[in-house]
Amino acid sequence: MVLIDILISGLILGGMYALVAMGLTLQYGVARILNLAYGEVLIASAFATYVLYTGFAISPLLGLLIVLPLAFAANWLIYRVMLTPLVKRARNRVTLEIDSILATFGLLFVLQGIAFVVFGGQYYSYSYLSVPLHLGGSIVSVNRLLALGFAAALGIALYLALTRTRSGTAIRAVAVDPTSAQLVAINVRRVAGFAFALGGAMCAAGGVLTSMFLTFNAAMGVVFTMKALIVVIMGGVGNLLGALLAGLLLGLIETFVARLVDPGLTLAANFALFLAVLLIRPQGLLGRRAS
Amino acid sequence: MLEIRHLSVSYGQHRALADIVLTANRGEIVVILGANGAGKSTLLKAVAGLVSAAAGASVRIRDRELAGDEPHRIVEAGIALVPEGRGIFGDLTVRENLQLGAYAARARDDEARNHARVLALFPRLAERMSQTARTMSGGEQQMLAIGRALMSSPEFLLLDEPSLGLSPLVCRELFAALKEIGASGIGVLLVEQNAKQSLAIAQRGYVIETGRITLAGKSEMLRADPAVQRAYLGAAGAASSTDTPSTD
Ligand SMILES: Nc1ncnc2c1ncn2[C@@H]1O[C@H](COP(=O)(O)OP(=O)(O)OP(=O)(O)O)[C@@H](O)[C@H]1O
Ligand SMILES: [Mg+2]
Repeated sequence: MVLIDILISGLILGGMYALVAMGLTLQYGVARILNLAYGEVLIASAFATYVLYTGFAISPLLGLLIVLPLAFAANWLIYRVMLTPLVKRARNRVTLEIDSILATFGLLFVLQGIAFVVFGGQYYSYSYLSVPLHLGGSIVSVNRLLALGFAAALGIALYLALTRTRSGTAIRAVAVDPTSAQLVAINVRRVAGFAFALGGAMCAAGGVLTSMFLTFNAAMGVVFTMKALIVVIMGGVGNLLGALLAGLLLGLIETFVARLVDPGLTLAANFALFLAVLLIRPQGLLGRRAS
Repeated sequence: MLEIRHLSVSYGQHRALADIVLTANRGEIVVILGANGAGKSTLLKAVAGLVSAAAGASVRIRDRELAGDEPHRIVEAGIALVPEGRGIFGDLTVRENLQLGAYAARARDDEARNHARVLALFPRLAERMSQTARTMSGGEQQMLAIGRALMSSPEFLLLDEPSLGLSPLVCRELFAALKEIGASGIGVLLVEQNAKQSLAIAQRGYVIETGRITLAGKSEMLRADPAVQRAYLGAAGAASSTDTPSTD
Protein backbone atom coordinates (compact mmCIF):
# COMPACT_ATOMS: atom_id res chain seq x y z
CA MET A 1 0.00 0.00 0.00
CA VAL A 2 2.76 2.38 -0.92
CA LEU A 3 0.37 4.66 -2.75
CA ILE A 4 -1.96 5.18 0.20
CA ASP A 5 1.09 5.67 2.36
CA ILE A 6 2.38 8.40 0.08
CA LEU A 7 -1.06 9.95 -0.18
CA ILE A 8 -1.50 10.20 3.58
CA SER A 9 2.03 11.43 4.27
CA GLY A 10 1.82 13.85 1.38
CA LEU A 11 -1.48 15.26 2.60
CA ILE A 12 -0.11 15.75 6.11
CA LEU A 13 3.01 17.49 4.87
CA GLY A 14 1.01 19.47 2.31
CA GLY A 15 -1.51 20.48 4.94
CA MET A 16 1.30 21.99 7.00
CA TYR A 17 2.67 23.81 3.97
CA ALA A 18 -0.78 25.11 3.14
CA LEU A 19 -1.39 26.39 6.66
CA VAL A 20 1.98 28.10 6.84
CA ALA A 21 1.57 29.57 3.36
CA MET A 22 -1.88 30.93 4.22
CA GLY A 23 -0.26 32.99 6.93
CA LEU A 24 2.44 34.27 4.60
CA THR A 25 -0.09 35.14 1.92
CA LEU A 26 -1.89 37.28 4.50
CA GLN A 27 1.31 39.10 5.37
CA TYR A 28 2.45 39.49 1.79
CA GLY A 29 -0.88 39.87 0.03
CA VAL A 30 -2.60 42.19 2.49
CA ALA A 31 0.12 43.96 4.46
CA ARG A 32 2.48 43.94 1.45
CA ILE A 33 5.32 42.84 3.68
CA LEU A 34 7.58 40.17 2.26
CA ASN A 35 8.62 38.74 5.58
CA LEU A 36 11.93 36.89 5.33
CA ALA A 37 11.87 36.18 9.06
CA TYR A 38 8.65 34.21 8.65
CA GLY A 39 10.24 30.82 9.18
CA GLU A 40 11.98 32.03 12.34
CA VAL A 41 8.55 32.71 13.83
CA LEU A 42 7.63 29.15 12.99
CA ILE A 43 10.77 27.77 14.62
CA ALA A 44 10.29 30.02 17.65
CA SER A 45 6.81 28.57 18.06
CA ALA A 46 8.17 25.06 17.76
CA PHE A 47 10.69 25.81 20.52
CA ALA A 48 7.98 27.41 22.65
CA THR A 49 5.87 24.28 22.26
CA TYR A 50 8.86 22.14 23.17
CA VAL A 51 9.52 24.16 26.32
CA LEU A 52 5.87 24.16 27.34
CA TYR A 53 5.61 20.39 26.84
CA THR A 54 8.91 19.20 28.29
CA GLY A 55 9.18 21.89 30.96
CA PHE A 56 5.61 22.47 32.06
CA ALA A 57 3.80 19.39 30.80
CA ILE A 58 1.47 21.49 28.71
CA SER A 59 0.46 19.47 25.67
CA PRO A 60 1.14 20.97 22.25
CA LEU A 61 -2.54 21.20 21.42
CA LEU A 62 -3.21 23.10 24.64
CA GLY A 63 -0.05 25.05 23.88
CA LEU A 64 -1.77 26.42 20.80
CA LEU A 65 -3.92 28.48 23.15
CA ILE A 66 -0.79 30.11 24.54
CA VAL A 67 1.49 30.28 21.52
CA LEU A 68 -1.05 31.62 19.04
CA PRO A 69 -2.09 34.72 21.00
CA LEU A 70 1.56 35.38 21.85
CA ALA A 71 2.57 35.14 18.21
CA PHE A 72 -0.30 37.39 17.22
CA ALA A 73 0.79 40.02 19.74
CA ALA A 74 4.48 39.74 18.84
CA ASN A 75 3.80 40.07 15.12
CA TRP A 76 1.50 43.00 15.69
CA LEU A 77 4.26 44.66 17.66
CA ILE A 78 6.80 43.95 14.94
CA TYR A 79 4.47 45.60 12.45
CA ARG A 80 3.80 48.59 14.65
CA VAL A 81 7.34 49.26 15.77
CA MET A 82 9.53 48.07 12.95
CA LEU A 83 7.41 48.09 9.81
CA THR A 84 5.01 51.01 10.23
CA PRO A 85 7.78 53.57 9.65
CA LEU A 86 8.59 51.79 6.40
CA VAL A 87 4.94 51.74 5.39
CA LYS A 88 4.60 55.43 6.13
CA ARG A 89 7.54 56.51 4.07
CA ALA A 90 7.02 54.08 1.18
CA ARG A 91 6.06 55.94 -1.95
CA ASN A 92 4.68 52.84 -3.59
CA ARG A 93 4.36 49.10 -3.32
CA VAL A 94 7.76 48.36 -4.79
CA THR A 95 9.68 50.54 -2.36
CA LEU A 96 7.76 48.99 0.53
CA GLU A 97 8.55 45.52 -0.74
CA ILE A 98 12.27 46.27 -0.98
CA ASP A 99 12.37 47.99 2.40
CA SER A 100 10.47 45.17 4.06
CA ILE A 101 12.75 42.54 2.55
CA LEU A 102 15.79 44.33 3.96
CA ALA A 103 14.22 44.93 7.37
CA THR A 104 12.92 41.40 7.82
CA PHE A 105 16.21 39.99 6.55
CA GLY A 106 17.76 41.73 9.53
CA LEU A 107 15.05 40.42 11.81
CA LEU A 108 15.77 36.90 10.55
CA PHE A 109 19.32 37.05 11.90
CA VAL A 110 18.25 38.55 15.19
CA LEU A 111 15.66 35.84 15.83
CA GLN A 112 17.94 33.10 14.58
CA GLY A 113 20.78 34.39 16.74
CA ILE A 114 18.59 34.34 19.83
CA ALA A 115 17.46 30.79 19.03
CA PHE A 116 21.09 29.66 18.65
CA VAL A 117 22.10 31.26 21.94
CA VAL A 118 19.23 29.71 23.85
CA PHE A 119 18.97 26.31 22.20
CA GLY A 120 22.24 25.78 20.39
CA GLY A 121 22.49 24.15 16.99
CA GLN A 122 21.30 20.63 17.75
CA TYR A 123 18.05 19.05 16.65
CA TYR A 124 15.10 18.93 19.00
CA SER A 125 12.09 16.70 19.14
CA TYR A 126 9.68 15.38 21.69
CA SER A 127 7.31 12.48 21.74
CA TYR A 128 3.65 13.30 21.95
CA LEU A 129 0.95 10.82 20.95
CA SER A 130 3.27 8.97 18.63
CA VAL A 131 0.92 6.04 18.67
CA PRO A 132 0.69 4.05 15.45
CA LEU A 133 -2.67 3.85 13.80
CA HIS A 134 -3.64 1.45 11.03
CA LEU A 135 -5.30 3.27 8.21
CA GLY A 136 -6.26 1.52 4.96
CA GLY A 137 -3.32 -0.84 5.14
CA SER A 138 -0.71 1.75 6.06
CA ILE A 139 0.45 3.02 9.42
CA VAL A 140 0.22 6.64 10.54
CA SER A 141 0.98 8.03 13.95
CA VAL A 142 -1.81 9.78 15.81
CA ASN A 143 0.11 13.01 16.26
CA ARG A 144 0.40 13.48 12.50
CA LEU A 145 -3.30 12.95 11.99
CA LEU A 146 -4.09 15.36 14.80
CA ALA A 147 -1.76 17.96 13.29
CA LEU A 148 -3.51 17.60 9.94
CA GLY A 149 -6.92 17.86 11.60
CA PHE A 150 -6.00 21.03 13.48
CA ALA A 151 -4.40 22.55 10.40
CA ALA A 152 -7.55 21.87 8.42
CA ALA A 153 -9.76 23.34 11.15
CA LEU A 154 -7.63 26.49 11.37
CA GLY A 155 -7.50 26.86 7.61
CA ILE A 156 -11.27 26.49 7.29
CA ALA A 157 -11.86 28.91 10.16
CA LEU A 158 -9.59 31.48 8.54
CA TYR A 159 -11.25 31.02 5.18
CA LEU A 160 -14.73 31.45 6.63
CA ALA A 161 -13.67 34.48 8.67
CA LEU A 162 -12.23 36.13 5.59
CA THR A 163 -15.16 35.39 3.32
CA ARG A 164 -18.19 35.53 5.62
CA THR A 165 -17.57 38.52 7.87
CA ARG A 166 -17.36 42.21 7.14
CA SER A 167 -13.95 42.51 8.80
CA GLY A 168 -12.71 39.61 6.72
CA THR A 169 -14.08 41.16 3.57
CA ALA A 170 -12.31 44.38 4.55
CA ILE A 171 -9.03 42.45 4.75
CA ARG A 172 -9.58 41.11 1.24
CA ALA A 173 -10.51 44.58 0.05
CA VAL A 174 -7.16 45.91 1.28
CA ALA A 175 -5.47 43.07 -0.57
CA VAL A 176 -7.11 43.87 -3.90
CA ASP A 177 -7.21 47.67 -3.75
CA PRO A 178 -5.78 49.61 -0.79
CA THR A 179 -6.70 53.00 -2.27
CA SER A 180 -10.33 52.14 -2.74
CA ALA A 181 -10.36 50.52 0.68
CA GLN A 182 -9.66 53.93 2.19
CA LEU A 183 -12.69 55.27 0.36
CA VAL A 184 -15.00 52.95 2.28
CA ALA A 185 -13.58 54.17 5.60
CA ILE A 186 -11.20 51.25 6.07
CA ASN A 187 -8.15 52.24 8.09
CA VAL A 188 -5.74 50.49 5.77
CA ARG A 189 -2.70 50.62 8.02
CA ARG A 190 -4.64 49.15 10.92
CA VAL A 191 -6.11 46.36 8.82
CA ALA A 192 -2.66 45.65 7.38
CA GLY A 193 -1.25 45.39 10.90
CA PHE A 194 -4.04 43.04 11.89
CA ALA A 195 -3.49 40.87 8.81
CA PHE A 196 0.24 40.76 9.52
CA ALA A 197 -0.43 39.64 13.09
CA LEU A 198 -3.01 37.08 11.96
CA GLY A 199 -0.55 35.73 9.41
CA GLY A 200 2.05 35.44 12.16
CA ALA A 201 -0.42 33.48 14.28
CA MET A 202 -1.09 31.06 11.41
CA CYS A 203 2.65 30.63 11.02
CA ALA A 204 2.95 29.90 14.73
CA ALA A 205 0.19 27.31 14.42
CA GLY A 206 2.26 25.68 11.71
CA GLY A 207 5.24 25.66 14.07
CA VAL A 208 3.31 24.10 16.93
CA LEU A 209 1.74 21.42 14.76
CA THR A 210 4.87 20.42 12.81
CA SER A 211 6.89 20.21 16.04
CA MET A 212 4.54 17.38 17.07
CA PHE A 213 6.11 15.08 14.48
CA LEU A 214 9.18 16.74 12.91
CA THR A 215 12.57 17.39 14.41
CA PHE A 216 13.69 20.97 14.23
CA ASN A 217 16.64 23.20 15.04
CA ALA A 218 17.49 26.87 15.21
CA ALA A 219 18.72 27.04 11.63
CA MET A 220 15.67 25.58 9.94
CA GLY A 221 13.54 28.71 9.66
CA VAL A 222 14.80 29.70 6.28
CA VAL A 223 13.66 26.40 4.76
CA PHE A 224 10.11 27.08 5.85
CA THR A 225 10.26 30.68 4.63
CA MET A 226 11.41 29.47 1.25
CA LYS A 227 8.79 26.77 0.95
CA ALA A 228 6.03 29.06 2.13
CA LEU A 229 7.13 31.65 -0.39
CA ILE A 230 7.11 29.08 -3.17
CA VAL A 231 3.62 27.97 -2.18
CA VAL A 232 2.34 31.56 -1.97
CA ILE A 233 3.67 32.48 -5.39
CA MET A 234 2.49 29.20 -6.88
CA GLY A 235 -1.00 29.75 -5.51
CA GLY A 236 -1.20 33.43 -6.44
CA VAL A 237 -0.20 36.13 -3.97
CA GLY A 238 -3.00 36.96 -1.55
CA ASN A 239 -5.09 33.99 -2.61
CA LEU A 240 -6.01 31.68 0.29
CA LEU A 241 -7.43 28.87 -1.81
CA GLY A 242 -4.43 29.11 -4.08
CA ALA A 243 -2.14 28.68 -1.07
CA LEU A 244 -4.17 25.67 0.02
CA LEU A 245 -4.05 24.03 -3.38
CA ALA A 246 -0.36 24.76 -3.96
CA GLY A 247 0.56 23.65 -0.43
CA LEU A 248 -1.15 20.28 -0.83
CA LEU A 249 0.38 19.84 -4.27
CA LEU A 250 3.86 20.56 -2.98
CA GLY A 251 3.46 18.17 -0.05
CA LEU A 252 2.22 15.38 -2.28
CA ILE A 253 4.90 15.80 -4.91
CA GLU A 254 7.66 16.05 -2.33
CA THR A 255 6.53 12.87 -0.64
CA PHE A 256 6.08 11.12 -3.95
CA VAL A 257 9.58 11.97 -5.11
CA ALA A 258 11.15 11.15 -1.75
CA ARG A 259 9.54 7.72 -1.59
CA LEU A 260 9.58 6.60 -5.18
CA VAL A 261 12.53 8.39 -6.74
CA ASP A 262 15.17 9.66 -4.33
CA PRO A 263 14.91 11.63 -1.07
CA GLY A 264 17.80 13.78 -2.25
CA LEU A 265 15.71 15.06 -5.11
CA THR A 266 12.84 16.59 -3.12
CA LEU A 267 14.25 20.09 -3.25
CA ALA A 268 14.90 19.75 -6.97
CA ALA A 269 11.31 18.56 -7.44
CA ASN A 270 10.13 21.57 -5.42
CA PHE A 271 11.83 23.98 -7.72
CA ALA A 272 10.87 22.11 -10.86
CA LEU A 273 7.23 22.46 -9.85
CA PHE A 274 7.76 26.09 -8.94
CA LEU A 275 9.42 26.83 -12.26
CA ALA A 276 6.73 25.02 -14.20
CA VAL A 277 4.03 27.10 -12.53
CA LEU A 278 5.97 30.32 -13.08
CA LEU A 279 6.43 29.52 -16.75
CA ILE A 280 2.90 28.39 -17.45
CA ARG A 281 0.91 30.59 -15.05
CA PRO A 282 3.13 33.44 -13.79
CA GLN A 283 0.20 34.89 -11.83
CA GLY A 284 -0.10 31.64 -9.84
CA LEU A 285 -2.54 28.75 -10.01
CA LEU A 286 -5.53 30.74 -8.81
CA GLY A 287 -4.07 34.23 -9.12
CA ARG A 288 -5.27 36.84 -11.53
CA ARG A 289 -3.03 38.76 -13.85
CA ALA A 290 -2.62 42.31 -12.61
CA SER A 291 -4.70 44.56 -14.84
CA MET B 1 -22.63 72.71 4.08
CA LEU B 2 -19.35 71.70 2.50
CA GLU B 3 -16.95 74.60 2.46
CA ILE B 4 -13.65 74.54 0.62
CA ARG B 5 -11.29 77.46 0.99
CA HIS B 6 -7.76 78.28 -0.12
CA LEU B 7 -7.23 74.81 -1.47
CA SER B 8 -3.97 74.48 -3.38
CA VAL B 9 -2.34 71.25 -4.48
CA SER B 10 1.04 70.66 -6.07
CA TYR B 11 2.53 67.53 -7.54
CA GLY B 12 6.18 68.22 -6.93
CA GLN B 13 6.94 71.43 -8.79
CA HIS B 14 3.72 71.30 -10.74
CA ARG B 15 0.87 73.29 -9.21
CA ALA B 16 -2.35 71.52 -10.12
CA LEU B 17 -4.78 73.61 -8.05
CA ALA B 18 -4.45 77.19 -6.89
CA ASP B 19 -6.52 78.73 -4.13
CA ILE B 20 -9.81 77.00 -4.85
CA VAL B 21 -12.87 78.37 -3.07
CA LEU B 22 -16.02 76.33 -3.42
CA THR B 23 -19.15 75.55 -1.45
CA ALA B 24 -21.94 73.03 -1.77
CA ASN B 25 -25.10 72.58 0.22
CA ARG B 26 -26.91 69.41 1.14
CA GLY B 27 -29.58 68.53 -1.38
CA GLU B 28 -27.80 70.53 -4.04
CA ILE B 29 -26.08 69.30 -7.17
CA VAL B 30 -22.98 71.28 -8.04
CA VAL B 31 -21.20 70.54 -11.28
CA ILE B 32 -17.51 71.16 -11.93
CA LEU B 33 -16.54 71.64 -15.56
CA GLY B 34 -13.07 71.86 -17.00
CA ALA B 35 -10.87 70.62 -19.81
CA ASN B 36 -8.57 67.62 -19.50
CA GLY B 37 -5.85 68.30 -16.99
CA ALA B 38 -7.63 71.30 -15.48
CA GLY B 39 -7.43 69.80 -12.00
CA LYS B 40 -10.95 68.44 -11.48
CA SER B 41 -9.89 65.04 -10.22
CA THR B 42 -7.22 66.61 -8.07
CA LEU B 43 -9.89 68.75 -6.42
CA LEU B 44 -12.05 65.75 -5.51
CA LYS B 45 -9.04 63.74 -4.37
CA ALA B 46 -7.87 66.58 -2.16
CA VAL B 47 -11.29 66.83 -0.52
CA ALA B 48 -11.33 63.06 0.03
CA GLY B 49 -7.84 63.18 1.52
CA LEU B 50 -6.18 61.09 -1.19
CA VAL B 51 -3.77 63.87 -2.11
CA SER B 52 -2.54 66.37 0.42
CA ALA B 53 -3.27 70.05 0.07
CA ALA B 54 -0.79 72.84 0.69
CA ALA B 55 -0.81 74.42 4.13
CA GLY B 56 -3.57 76.92 4.72
CA ALA B 57 -6.28 74.91 3.00
CA SER B 58 -9.60 74.41 4.69
CA VAL B 59 -12.24 71.78 3.98
CA ARG B 60 -15.14 72.04 6.38
CA ILE B 61 -18.29 70.09 6.86
CA ARG B 62 -20.65 71.14 9.67
CA ASP B 63 -17.83 73.31 10.96
CA ARG B 64 -15.53 70.35 11.29
CA GLU B 65 -12.11 70.87 9.73
CA LEU B 66 -11.12 67.95 7.51
CA ALA B 67 -8.07 69.30 5.70
CA GLY B 68 -5.14 67.01 6.46
CA ASP B 69 -7.29 64.19 7.80
CA GLU B 70 -6.83 60.64 6.60
CA PRO B 71 -9.22 59.39 3.89
CA HIS B 72 -11.00 56.88 6.11
CA ARG B 73 -11.80 59.59 8.64
CA ILE B 74 -13.15 61.84 5.93
CA VAL B 75 -15.60 59.11 4.94
CA GLU B 76 -16.60 58.86 8.58
CA ALA B 77 -17.23 62.59 8.56
CA GLY B 78 -19.76 62.17 5.76
CA ILE B 79 -17.97 62.65 2.46
CA ALA B 80 -17.95 59.78 -0.04
CA LEU B 81 -15.95 59.79 -3.26
CA VAL B 82 -16.72 57.80 -6.39
CA PRO B 83 -13.31 58.09 -8.03
CA GLU B 84 -12.25 58.26 -11.64
CA GLY B 85 -12.34 54.68 -12.89
CA ARG B 86 -14.93 53.77 -10.25
CA GLY B 87 -12.65 52.09 -7.72
CA ILE B 88 -14.93 49.16 -7.01
CA PHE B 89 -13.43 45.93 -5.72
CA GLY B 90 -13.36 43.89 -8.92
CA ASP B 91 -12.57 40.58 -7.23
CA LEU B 92 -15.42 40.88 -4.78
CA THR B 93 -19.11 40.34 -5.42
CA VAL B 94 -21.72 43.07 -5.69
CA ARG B 95 -23.02 42.11 -2.27
CA GLU B 96 -19.55 42.36 -0.71
CA ASN B 97 -18.91 45.71 -2.37
CA LEU B 98 -22.11 47.10 -0.90
CA GLN B 99 -21.39 45.54 2.46
CA LEU B 100 -18.01 47.26 2.52
CA GLY B 101 -19.68 50.51 1.58
CA ALA B 102 -21.25 50.38 5.01
CA TYR B 103 -17.94 49.66 6.75
CA ALA B 104 -17.91 53.16 8.24
CA ALA B 105 -19.17 53.32 11.80
CA ARG B 106 -21.51 56.11 10.76
CA ALA B 107 -23.19 53.80 8.26
CA ARG B 108 -24.01 50.84 10.49
CA ASP B 109 -27.31 52.00 11.96
CA ASP B 110 -28.86 52.83 8.61
CA GLU B 111 -27.35 49.95 6.68
CA ALA B 112 -30.61 48.15 5.89
CA ARG B 113 -32.35 51.34 4.88
CA ASN B 114 -29.47 52.49 2.66
CA HIS B 115 -29.30 49.05 1.09
CA ALA B 116 -32.99 49.18 0.18
CA ARG B 117 -32.52 52.69 -1.16
CA VAL B 118 -29.60 51.72 -3.37
CA LEU B 119 -31.51 48.80 -4.82
CA ALA B 120 -34.53 51.02 -5.44
CA LEU B 121 -32.28 53.49 -7.22
CA PHE B 122 -30.46 50.82 -9.23
CA PRO B 123 -32.79 47.82 -9.51
CA ARG B 124 -30.33 46.09 -11.81
CA LEU B 125 -27.91 45.59 -8.93
CA ALA B 126 -30.52 43.51 -7.12
CA GLU B 127 -30.35 40.86 -9.83
CA ARG B 128 -26.58 40.70 -9.63
CA MET B 129 -25.82 40.48 -5.95
CA SER B 130 -23.65 37.38 -6.25
CA GLN B 131 -21.85 38.43 -9.41
CA THR B 132 -18.16 39.29 -9.31
CA ALA B 133 -18.00 43.05 -9.80
CA ARG B 134 -15.42 43.00 -12.60
CA THR B 135 -17.62 40.89 -14.83
CA MET B 136 -20.38 43.48 -14.96
CA SER B 137 -20.93 46.02 -17.72
CA GLY B 138 -19.47 49.50 -17.39
CA GLY B 139 -22.84 50.99 -16.55
CA GLU B 140 -23.53 48.40 -13.89
CA GLN B 141 -20.09 48.94 -12.38
CA GLN B 142 -20.73 52.66 -12.18
CA MET B 143 -24.07 52.02 -10.48
CA LEU B 144 -22.30 49.76 -8.02
CA ALA B 145 -19.67 52.40 -7.35
CA ILE B 146 -22.34 54.98 -6.60
CA GLY B 147 -24.34 52.47 -4.58
CA ARG B 148 -21.28 51.60 -2.54
CA ALA B 149 -20.65 55.26 -1.81
CA LEU B 150 -24.28 55.75 -0.78
CA MET B 151 -24.00 52.85 1.65
CA SER B 152 -21.72 55.01 3.80
CA SER B 153 -24.62 57.38 4.58
CA PRO B 154 -22.81 60.37 3.10
CA GLU B 155 -23.88 63.95 3.50
CA PHE B 156 -21.89 64.78 0.41
CA LEU B 157 -21.23 62.59 -2.58
CA LEU B 158 -18.32 63.43 -4.87
CA LEU B 159 -18.38 61.90 -8.35
CA ASP B 160 -15.49 61.98 -10.82
CA GLU B 161 -16.78 61.67 -14.40
CA PRO B 162 -19.34 58.96 -13.71
CA SER B 163 -20.70 59.05 -17.26
CA LEU B 164 -17.35 58.34 -18.88
CA GLY B 165 -17.62 55.55 -21.42
CA LEU B 166 -21.32 54.89 -20.94
CA SER B 167 -23.86 54.64 -23.74
CA PRO B 168 -26.35 57.52 -24.14
CA LEU B 169 -29.14 55.41 -22.73
CA VAL B 170 -27.22 54.36 -19.62
CA CYS B 171 -26.05 57.96 -19.25
CA ARG B 172 -29.61 59.18 -19.06
CA GLU B 173 -30.40 56.59 -16.40
CA LEU B 174 -27.34 57.67 -14.47
CA PHE B 175 -28.17 61.36 -14.49
CA ALA B 176 -31.75 60.61 -13.48
CA ALA B 177 -30.39 58.66 -10.51
CA LEU B 178 -28.03 61.50 -9.55
CA LYS B 179 -30.92 63.93 -9.65
CA GLU B 180 -32.84 61.67 -7.30
CA ILE B 181 -29.86 61.44 -4.96
CA GLY B 182 -29.67 65.22 -4.81
CA ALA B 183 -33.39 65.44 -4.16
CA SER B 184 -33.03 63.01 -1.26
CA GLY B 185 -30.99 65.60 0.62
CA ILE B 186 -27.43 64.56 -0.19
CA GLY B 187 -25.12 67.21 -1.56
CA VAL B 188 -23.61 66.15 -4.90
CA LEU B 189 -20.33 67.48 -6.24
CA LEU B 190 -20.19 66.29 -9.81
CA VAL B 191 -17.14 66.45 -12.08
CA GLU B 192 -18.29 65.91 -15.63
CA GLN B 193 -17.28 66.16 -19.25
CA ASN B 194 -20.90 65.81 -20.22
CA ALA B 195 -21.71 69.47 -19.63
CA LYS B 196 -25.14 69.42 -21.20
CA GLN B 197 -26.64 66.69 -19.10
CA SER B 198 -24.89 67.66 -15.90
CA LEU B 199 -25.93 71.32 -16.15
CA ALA B 200 -29.47 70.08 -16.71
CA ILE B 201 -29.61 68.42 -13.28
CA ALA B 202 -27.31 70.78 -11.36
CA GLN B 203 -28.35 73.92 -9.52
CA ARG B 204 -24.94 75.52 -9.66
CA GLY B 205 -21.60 75.01 -11.28
CA TYR B 206 -17.94 75.99 -11.40
CA VAL B 207 -15.53 76.10 -14.30
CA ILE B 208 -11.90 75.21 -13.60
CA GLU B 209 -9.12 76.14 -15.99
CA THR B 210 -5.51 75.16 -15.31
CA GLY B 211 -6.09 74.83 -11.60
CA ARG B 212 -8.13 77.98 -11.02
CA ILE B 213 -11.82 78.64 -10.82
CA THR B 214 -12.61 81.01 -13.65
CA LEU B 215 -16.36 81.02 -13.54
CA ALA B 216 -19.03 80.18 -10.99
CA GLY B 217 -22.77 80.56 -10.87
CA LYS B 218 -26.20 79.12 -11.35
CA SER B 219 -26.64 76.48 -14.01
CA GLU B 220 -28.81 78.69 -16.21
CA MET B 221 -26.16 81.36 -16.11
CA LEU B 222 -23.42 78.88 -17.06
CA ARG B 223 -25.54 77.42 -19.82
CA ALA B 224 -26.03 80.88 -21.28
CA ASP B 225 -22.38 81.87 -21.01
CA PRO B 226 -20.79 82.06 -24.46
CA ALA B 227 -17.42 80.77 -23.25
CA VAL B 228 -19.03 77.76 -21.60
CA GLN B 229 -21.09 77.12 -24.69
CA ARG B 230 -18.02 77.26 -26.85
CA ALA B 231 -15.80 75.10 -24.68
CA TYR B 232 -18.19 72.59 -23.11
CA LEU B 233 -21.52 72.62 -24.86
CA GLY B 234 -20.25 72.20 -28.40
CA ALA B 235 -21.86 75.37 -29.68
CA ALA B 236 -21.64 76.11 -33.40
CA GLY B 237 -18.24 77.22 -34.57
CA ALA B 238 -16.32 75.26 -31.98
CA ALA B 239 -17.73 71.84 -32.68
CA SER B 240 -14.45 70.64 -34.15
CA SER B 241 -12.32 71.79 -31.24
CA THR B 242 -10.44 68.82 -29.88
CA ASP B 243 -11.16 69.45 -26.22
CA THR B 244 -14.87 69.76 -26.76
CA PRO B 245 -16.43 66.82 -25.01
CA SER B 246 -19.04 64.88 -26.84
CA THR B 247 -22.53 65.57 -25.64
CA ASP B 248 -24.13 62.69 -27.49
N1 LIG C 1 -0.05 61.93 -9.50
C1 LIG C 1 0.29 62.99 -10.25
N2 LIG C 1 1.57 63.36 -10.35
C2 LIG C 1 1.93 64.44 -11.09
N3 LIG C 1 1.07 65.21 -11.75
C3 LIG C 1 -0.22 64.90 -11.70
C4 LIG C 1 -0.69 63.77 -10.94
N4 LIG C 1 -2.03 63.71 -11.06
C5 LIG C 1 -2.39 64.73 -11.85
N5 LIG C 1 -1.31 65.46 -12.23
C6 LIG C 1 -1.34 66.66 -13.06
O1 LIG C 1 -2.17 67.62 -12.45
C7 LIG C 1 -2.99 68.26 -13.40
C8 LIG C 1 -4.45 68.07 -13.04
O2 LIG C 1 -4.79 66.70 -13.16
P1 LIG C 1 -6.24 66.15 -12.89
O3 LIG C 1 -6.20 64.68 -13.00
O4 LIG C 1 -6.75 66.72 -11.64
O5 LIG C 1 -7.05 66.76 -14.12
P2 LIG C 1 -8.54 66.52 -14.56
O6 LIG C 1 -9.17 67.84 -14.65
O7 LIG C 1 -9.19 65.52 -13.71
O8 LIG C 1 -8.35 65.94 -16.02
P3 LIG C 1 -9.21 64.83 -16.80
O9 LIG C 1 -10.39 65.53 -17.36
O10 LIG C 1 -8.28 64.38 -17.90
O11 LIG C 1 -9.55 63.75 -15.86
C9 LIG C 1 -2.62 67.67 -14.74
O12 LIG C 1 -1.71 68.57 -15.36
C10 LIG C 1 -1.95 66.38 -14.41
O13 LIG C 1 -0.97 66.07 -15.36
MG1 LIG D 1 -9.92 63.66 -13.98
